[in-house]
Amino acid sequence: MAIDLSFLPTFAVLSSELAIMRKNGLDDIRLEASLTSILGASELQLSSIGGPDEGETTPAETKSEMPAAEPIPSFPVGASSDDIATSNLISFPEGTIAQVPVKLAVADIRQAPQLAVPLVTAVPADEAVGGPNDTALPDSFVPSFPPGTVPESAIQTPDVVVAPGVSAEGALLDGRRRPGDEKALPDPVVQTNIGAVRPPPPSAFPGDPEFPIPDRFRLSSNLGLARKEKFLDPYNQNTFKGDKPICIPTDEEVARRAAAGEKKCRTPKILGLKGDDWFFVLTGVSDTIVEPRTFPIPVSVQTTERPRSNDVFGKSQSLVLAQTFLFGAALIKGQTAYKPPDVEYRALLAFNINYVNVPERRVLSVKPSKESNRFDYFLGVQELFYDVHWRNVSDRYDFDSFRFGIQPFQQDFRGFLFNDNQLGVRLFGIRDNNRFQYNLAAFWRLEKDTNSGLNAVTMRPRDDYVIAANVYRQDFPVVGLTSQVSVTLNINREKKQLELDDNGFPVRPALLGTNRGRNYDVTYLGYSVDGRIGRVNLTATSYAALGTDRNSFFTDQKAKIKSFFFAAEPSIDINYLRIRLAALYASGDSKPFDNVEGGFDAIFENPIFAGADTSYFIRQTIPFAGGGRAVAINGRNGILNSLRSSKEQGQSNFNNPGTMLLGVGVDADITPKFRLTGNVNHLWFENTATLQALRVEGTIPKSIGYDISAAAIFRPSAIQNVVFRLSGAVLQSGKGFRDLFASAQRQRRFYSVLFNATASF
Amino acid sequence: MRVTKSISALTVVAFVLASCGGGSNSTTPVAVSPPPTVPPTRAFNVPAQESLSVADVQQVMAQAITEARARNMPATIAVTDRVGNVLGVFVMNGANQNLRIPNAPGGVSFNRDLQGFPGNLDQFPGLPADVPAAGAGAIAKAVTGAYLSSGGNAFSTRTASQIVQQNFPPSPNAVGLESGPLYGVQFSQLPCSDLSQRFGGPAMIGPKRSPLGLSADAGGFPLYKNGVLVGGVGVMADGVYDFDTNILDVESKDEEFIALAATANFLPPAGITANFITVDGTSLRYSDATTAGFRGGAAPAFSTLAGTVGNLVAVNGYSAATIIAGSAYGSENSGIRASTTAEFANPDAFILTNGSGTNRFPIRAATDGAVTTQPITAAESRALLEEAFLIMTRARAQIRRPLDSRAQVTISVVDTFGSVLGVVRSPDAPIFGTDVSLQKARTAAFFTNVNAQSELLTNPTPRIAAMMRTAQTFFNDPNAFTGRVAFTNRAIGNIARPFFPDGEQERPPGPFSPGFQGFSPFSVGIQSTLITENIAQHVLFILGASATDTAQRCTRSPDVIPGQNRLQNGIQIFPGSVPVYRGNVLVGGIGVSGDGIDQDDMIGFLGANNANIRLGAASVGNAPLSVRSDNVIVPVTGGRTVRLRYVGCPFAPFLDTAEQQVCQGR
Repeated sequence: MAIDLSFLPTFAVLSSELAIMRKNGLDDIRLEASLTSILGASELQLSSIGGPDEGETTPAETKSEMPAAEPIPSFPVGASSDDIATSNLISFPEGTIAQVPVKLAVADIRQAPQLAVPLVTAVPADEAVGGPNDTALPDSFVPSFPPGTVPESAIQTPDVVVAPGVSAEGALLDGRRRPGDEKALPDPVVQTNIGAVRPPPPSAFPGDPEFPIPDRFRLSSNLGLARKEKFLDPYNQNTFKGDKPICIPTDEEVARRAAAGEKKCRTPKILGLKGDDWFFVLTGVSDTIVEPRTFPIPVSVQTTERPRSNDVFGKSQSLVLAQTFLFGAALIKGQTAYKPPDVEYRALLAFNINYVNVPERRVLSVKPSKESNRFDYFLGVQELFYDVHWRNVSDRYDFDSFRFGIQPFQQDFRGFLFNDNQLGVRLFGIRDNNRFQYNLAAFWRLEKDTNSGLNAVTMRPRDDYVIAANVYRQDFPVVGLTSQVSVTLNINREKKQLELDDNGFPVRPALLGTNRGRNYDVTYLGYSVDGRIGRVNLTATSYAALGTDRNSFFTDQKAKIKSFFFAAEPSIDINYLRIRLAALYASGDSKPFDNVEGGFDAIFENPIFAGADTSYFIRQTIPFAGGGRAVAINGRNGILNSLRSSKEQGQSNFNNPGTMLLGVGVDADITPKFRLTGNVNHLWFENTATLQALRVEGTIPKSIGYDISAAAIFRPSAIQNVVFRLSGAVLQSGKGFRDLFASAQRQRRFYSVLFNATASF
Repeated sequence: MRVTKSISALTVVAFVLASCGGGSNSTTPVAVSPPPTVPPTRAFNVPAQESLSVADVQQVMAQAITEARARNMPATIAVTDRVGNVLGVFVMNGANQNLRIPNAPGGVSFNRDLQGFPGNLDQFPGLPADVPAAGAGAIAKAVTGAYLSSGGNAFSTRTASQIVQQNFPPSPNAVGLESGPLYGVQFSQLPCSDLSQRFGGPAMIGPKRSPLGLSADAGGFPLYKNGVLVGGVGVMADGVYDFDTNILDVESKDEEFIALAATANFLPPAGITANFITVDGTSLRYSDATTAGFRGGAAPAFSTLAGTVGNLVAVNGYSAATIIAGSAYGSENSGIRASTTAEFANPDAFILTNGSGTNRFPIRAATDGAVTTQPITAAESRALLEEAFLIMTRARAQIRRPLDSRAQVTISVVDTFGSVLGVVRSPDAPIFGTDVSLQKARTAAFFTNVNAQSELLTNPTPRIAAMMRTAQTFFNDPNAFTGRVAFTNRAIGNIARPFFPDGEQERPPGPFSPGFQGFSPFSVGIQSTLITENIAQHVLFILGASATDTAQRCTRSPDVIPGQNRLQNGIQIFPGSVPVYRGNVLVGGIGVSGDGIDQDDMIGFLGANNANIRLGAASVGNAPLSVRSDNVIVPVTGGRTVRLRYVGCPFAPFLDTAEQQVCQGR
């Protein structure tokens, strides 16, 4: 689709405004982003549930996929040997359906501040600036904006007039388009205004053209336009949600308040805050998970739960219950809009309570005498950072910024490589009116709690370091597509460590091969795109992982790492539907005993792809029974068959069978409150040589099977703050999976059900 | 239209991606011995009849001597053939002739059985602090290298060390995991075994006994000639006979370098050494020594060394001071040969022979008719062996390369007296499993027997009776081991580990184990205590301190008929057997050894099951479900309970079908 370049100047303005908004206390929005990433997911797209057809832009023009910008925690992720009880809260795994421009802006804001993920790719100017038709935002969308951060015009409800005899379906608002619905273009507007005179520029008027307003934040309430502030109401102006600056207890202010008979200023003096424009944002989220599932569970070698357990596999039914509370607070100095904040302090704690019940012994604990259920809880620090705005480098607030501390980071659009909240330092910024973005970051990876997957800051951080650099360029190589080039270096020095997890299972080194510890250095060279080509949305990621494993566990010799990854998801929007294809290839190791390791493994994946945690194989961990004790085929909320001891605590493993996936999916936004998603994927091992060597089993077919899943997301109030999701997935095992794990002739099918309720403030 | 095109293009690309990238059969990691070329009617190929000549033995010794000299570590070197005949023992001048066994982990006061040898006066009265038993140690190492290996797997004494300890593998990061799969195998091939042959017996027939059982001390390797297993070499040099408690480090032991150097020109085919074989994903260890660490150069002729740097020596009960040629495995002379049709129906089977053409253990009816109402008939013995053999033929090997080789084991059937009713094996089954399969069969039959408790309580060795009383307390059952529970080797193994349940640290031991402070591969509890007197007597005989060798009849268990007890080659405590029942009545046991323990279990269990199906419900078969050991619930502290597993069958067990869970419901 051709883009009229005349839009660009206006778009540039929009971009800079977005940049400003992004840096200005949009914490509710950020929270969503956080959650998303925390939950590893894309529930950002919930905002889009509101109705794909309201948008002016075609889907293709919008940023379709939220690259869960700040993968906050990912705590949900992972299950070590068996069960981490957290989830990717709600995630809309798949594609998002296009939205109205303003919404796009929000999406961008969410991701951009933390990650500098590329912004909207192309928004026609007249849409972007909010022409009369743009105001018809879906209800669902509104809550995503903290009041005060969205132009008033954007939240007005337009008058919709349905002409008699016209069905609701036909009564599209003037100027709106529905994906796939082609209408005849209106006649071109030809301006003929002979003799018209250009209005004078502002500089033509003498004196200061601006009209200063001392406290614009209280303007609306002074005019009686805002409701009285209530602590528990995040939708109207709320000081605790960063809508108004907090008071600073200077002598002057104390005196003024006393004189005016106002409440005392309760901001603690000890904070030493100076100057105006300090904002305070509180965050609270509750995430509840109920997850019955089945997976091939080996019986304990030493003793069994029941008599007559004569074989390798036992019963397969299991239940996970998990409750996570997130508490966060941020202190921000800035103007909340129009300009990036100067300073931000932020903390986010996650308290997770989990219960897992499995039918067999020695699954949840290394001790076979222990009951086969487990209750555990943990308090993790998922964010704790200081963000300082270093400088602006243009009038449009292109900037450079530093962030120190535990912070979210996601290396590519879909979280295939490194999507985690880790301790690090990051320099990031934008250029060229935000069309160029960059990140330069170094992380020292924190140890994770075994059963919650949360950051365990009281434990010594791992001897594992990540250095990541990336640049994004919008509209490259084609308009509508954003390109990202990245280099990621993972340096692991855990050779001398012997780490058992909380359940007593060894995680480093993994109990594979010679069992000896190892160091490795691996460089990931990445190229990713996200955006659209014509009407086809496209997101794709590719990596080459090159480096050295100092001690291959098959040979006890140094080995080269040489592995590759590619994933792509093209999709197209048709009316309220988005139809997706998914293809993924991660190379596997073909010769275990040679000195090249050809299996691709990530650093810490949390992929939003092919159904994400809705799909069986991504959600569930499959223990590698018979091939490695305390080793899983894949990680929880992970797609790579990496044979790690644990996604959270284990080392990367490049002696693995690789992964291939082909899939098709559909997202249906039935109503603003209700979305249905379905996915059918077929998975394969790329090469089963490593599995064969570890199992001493020569004929293991490649097919893992069909992974069929469906999810329903319900937002009773059409807002993001209360969301329910119910998903179910079935793995119809293929020959390879059956060969490895079929626990009985009759049991070739495994299921995963995930009920998830999220409430946020 | 354009969209459709792009999507279909993508789909095509994706499918292409999915279809390329190495198939599941593109594996062969390294060159391995050529896949078996099997005659059409046979499932197994028969190893070529290769043997070590005198010159070969001399070359092996010369290679060892050269490396030992370069290391300035004079050594004792023993070479055996595949069936355990000692082909020569060479002692270099100045070699440390001592053989000391480490004390128990808990210290001297925990020493039992062989621990602390020879200073352990309790077991070895009258021995000085050092005894010149290095020759016996070297022989045990050579036997271990030869016996644990086959044409599909080359295992060393270091491999043995890895699979006999309280955790598998022995390493700090496996603490808390189960014990080694062959826990207890070191107490097989005992000098008192009634199955194992002795030096000076008829011809060269094997399997021969080992003076100290199997060895876990690095410095014993198999020898191959033209790709065929022909024997083993063992080296003692440091005077210490121990084991490796941590496989994560890389030990540098002169003994191992010397022994590895000895194997030059007699190497196993590429790809079958232990490091290519995994157990539960953990690869086995062949050697910490590497050829890169060799210091000696090319070996001179043996004739230039013998008499100058050392001498061939005699070892009482094993070797004269000469070098002899080895037997060719599979020949009548080796004591193990292909069966005749009359001996066993399956043309693949091998049997033990007496060197004169007679099957040593022909299939027969039970001998316990005096106490058993309906003893096992010859037809039933045959059915048990044939059905088990058939399962083995179908079973995928756990420890053999190339992948998808067939399992190869030895199968023994006994009656309740422990009398052998038949022994058959596959052509290339590791030799160690011969004696071990019989130990296992007897173990299951013994502990399931109504008289087990009384025979243990009346065993003349006081600690045996004490362990039985501990067991009564442990089960909170004064009638424990009185025939009401069917015990397999797996079940007995469960209660013969230093932790109960197995591997769970900080738990007290099973009643038949000395506990963690008293445990080492030299003292495992009831198994080693039952035969320590036999070994002590034998060691004194080797040392010349006694003219009387131990009887060819292990343990001091009471006689069931004059001159025969139920445990005449000792017991075994790792899985691979089931008791055989007729209805509700114990009539014997079937034991299997030679491949993975799960395969061993399955072959015995399904063998008994299928024999019953074949011969009818009134015939022999597995124990009734209700009496199997997995119904026994042992309470342990903390309100927890532990069951004793009965059998554990392997994943993906068969080569001819994709069946799983094949033992379920049987």
